[in-house]
Amino acid sequence: MSARPQFHAGYLWAGRIIMLACLIAVPILYPQKYVVHVLGLAMIFAIAALALQVLLGFAGLLSIGQAAFLGIGAYTSAILTTRYKLPFELAFLAAGLSAGIASLTLVPITRLRGVYLAVATLGFTIIIHLVLLNEEWLTGGSFGILNIPWPSLGPWSLKGETAIYYLCLGVLVVTFVALHRLMPSRFGRALQAIMLEEDAARACGVDLTYYKSQAFVVAAIITGFAGSLFAHHSQYLNPNDFTFWKSIEIVLMVAVGGIGSFAGAVTGAFVVTLLPEFLRAADEYRMVIFGSMLIVFMGLGHRGLAGLFSTFALRVLQRRSLAEHASAHGLTR
Amino acid sequence: MSGSQLLELLVGGLAIGCIYSLIALGFTMIIRATGVLHFAQGELVMLGAMFGVTAHRLLPSLPLAPLLLTGMVFGGLAAVAIELGVYRTLRVRRIPLMNITIATIGMSILLQNTGQLVWGSEPIAYPKLFASTAYSLGPARIAPQLVWIIGMGVVVMLLLQLFLAFTRTGRAMQAAAQRPDTAQLMGINLTRITAYTYAIAGALGGGAGVLLGSLFYASFNMGFLPAIKAFVAATLGGLGSIGGAMFGGIIFGVIETFAAVWISTSYKDAVGMVMLILILLVWPEGLVGLIRKRR
Repeated sequence: MSARPQFHAGYLWAGRIIMLACLIAVPILYPQKYVVHVLGLAMIFAIAALALQVLLGFAGLLSIGQAAFLGIGAYTSAILTTRYKLPFELAFLAAGLSAGIASLTLVPITRLRGVYLAVATLGFTIIIHLVLLNEEWLTGGSFGILNIPWPSLGPWSLKGETAIYYLCLGVLVVTFVALHRLMPSRFGRALQAIMLEEDAARACGVDLTYYKSQAFVVAAIITGFAGSLFAHHSQYLNPNDFTFWKSIEIVLMVAVGGIGSFAGAVTGAFVVTLLPEFLRAADEYRMVIFGSMLIVFMGLGHRGLAGLFSTFALRVLQRRSLAEHASAHGLTR
Repeated sequence: MSGSQLLELLVGGLAIGCIYSLIALGFTMIIRATGVLHFAQGELVMLGAMFGVTAHRLLPSLPLAPLLLTGMVFGGLAAVAIELGVYRTLRVRRIPLMNITIATIGMSILLQNTGQLVWGSEPIAYPKLFASTAYSLGPARIAPQLVWIIGMGVVVMLLLQLFLAFTRTGRAMQAAAQRPDTAQLMGINLTRITAYTYAIAGALGGGAGVLLGSLFYASFNMGFLPAIKAFVAATLGGLGSIGGAMFGGIIFGVIETFAAVWISTSYKDAVGMVMLILILLVWPEGLVGLIRKRR
């Protein structure tokens, strides 16, 4: 980690606040329904990508099972609000809880390493997709669930794309800040130790199984929350939103953004969600271009867009400080 | 269930299992040689099936064996092309394995959509290659197609085993997979061996594509799901072992077929996955690892 270029924390927070300001401004500047809808979706996936970043970037666990937790959260929230008329707040909490409970059944597989964990979680996504598709009494089968209500917060009902956009933004910001505060904690440091050198971490008394499974459950809960937002954002659920392909997409987001960076995970989620929309003009060639760009992104650098950006920004900053340095010397001389 | 039905099911399961084995062997060869989990393997299957259909359109009188060969040749060529054009560049730039693996997902998207542009989005019916009268084995009636698929699959797998065991290139491949550095010191050209590995993996995938197409149909997205299942099968058998890939593929095909009848058609995929998770928990080296340990 020490080899990575480091910024002064002030720059980082300035960058994040500018990003946040842009996101707050979008629905005011472009009150187009479609734009707001797609950006809202990107933010929901950004939450899911943040959760996977905890696993992949900090615990070194490649999970291709995140769509399962997204689906469990989404369906829990949708069923509770449509069938049992529970308020959104409760359904939202229940979504996180149910995804967390589901992940508890998978805790033993966090003992597996690398590709084995990836395949096992992939298998889990396929199982959950089939359950969503076939248990019609519970999930509505392939028809899905219609007319999921808009969310509400206490007395306020958040009707319309703009209101839910800000809700997603709020949850995204809270998740981002919470994970940032979590990483320097004992839990976060234990995960990073595991990632860097598993055997050394074990020798230092880090309980591998405990921390890995904790990370797995935390990620599942956050993804469950994202799932709840997804259900109320699109107001319609279909099992095909939660195939293993969605799991792979979430992995792509983290990889494109940069493994090990939370800001990268958010950026990656935006790129992977928005890029196909931007390429709509290319029509039938758009997925061909998307695939090629993915290969190029992966080939460009080791740490995705976040790595590219920080290398670039550091270079600019360094050049400026060198120039200042030189001119200061020139003056004294 | 009567004995004859059981036999019919078993033959069907073995046929689809042979196809999984061929795809799984491709995965295994690549993961052994480069450590990359090759997500675009399914698209090589698709390309094989598509080139097979195209060959049949150009020369309608071709029987299955030459079609299979066409699929294998073009699958192999496509794999070598992407290895030389893309993956080698990534390796030379010392991109981490994780990134290369994700780049193969990009390759899968790229090939799938190129396939859609070239061959259209409608599934293409495969030509009738076999007599439709079933073979009778006692009271059981078995479609000739299934027998042919099993036969062809077994022949291809046997040839691969012979190639790996007895030819110079095959043994160089085995050596390179076991200890790349030592193999290089012994004068094995790793770059060339990797290209050969992709050629073989592509050929196996392309061949599987023709067989799979003849069983169902050919379409631009036909490869991805069977490839994922084949990869699961390879893990079931024991990832990184040639025997494990063959064994795992066949077992997986049989389990899937029986699960469809005994448990439910809608959950047939889930049964394999549950088994996979359980097996990984108990014996992470897969079935082959288990047998080796007992020995």
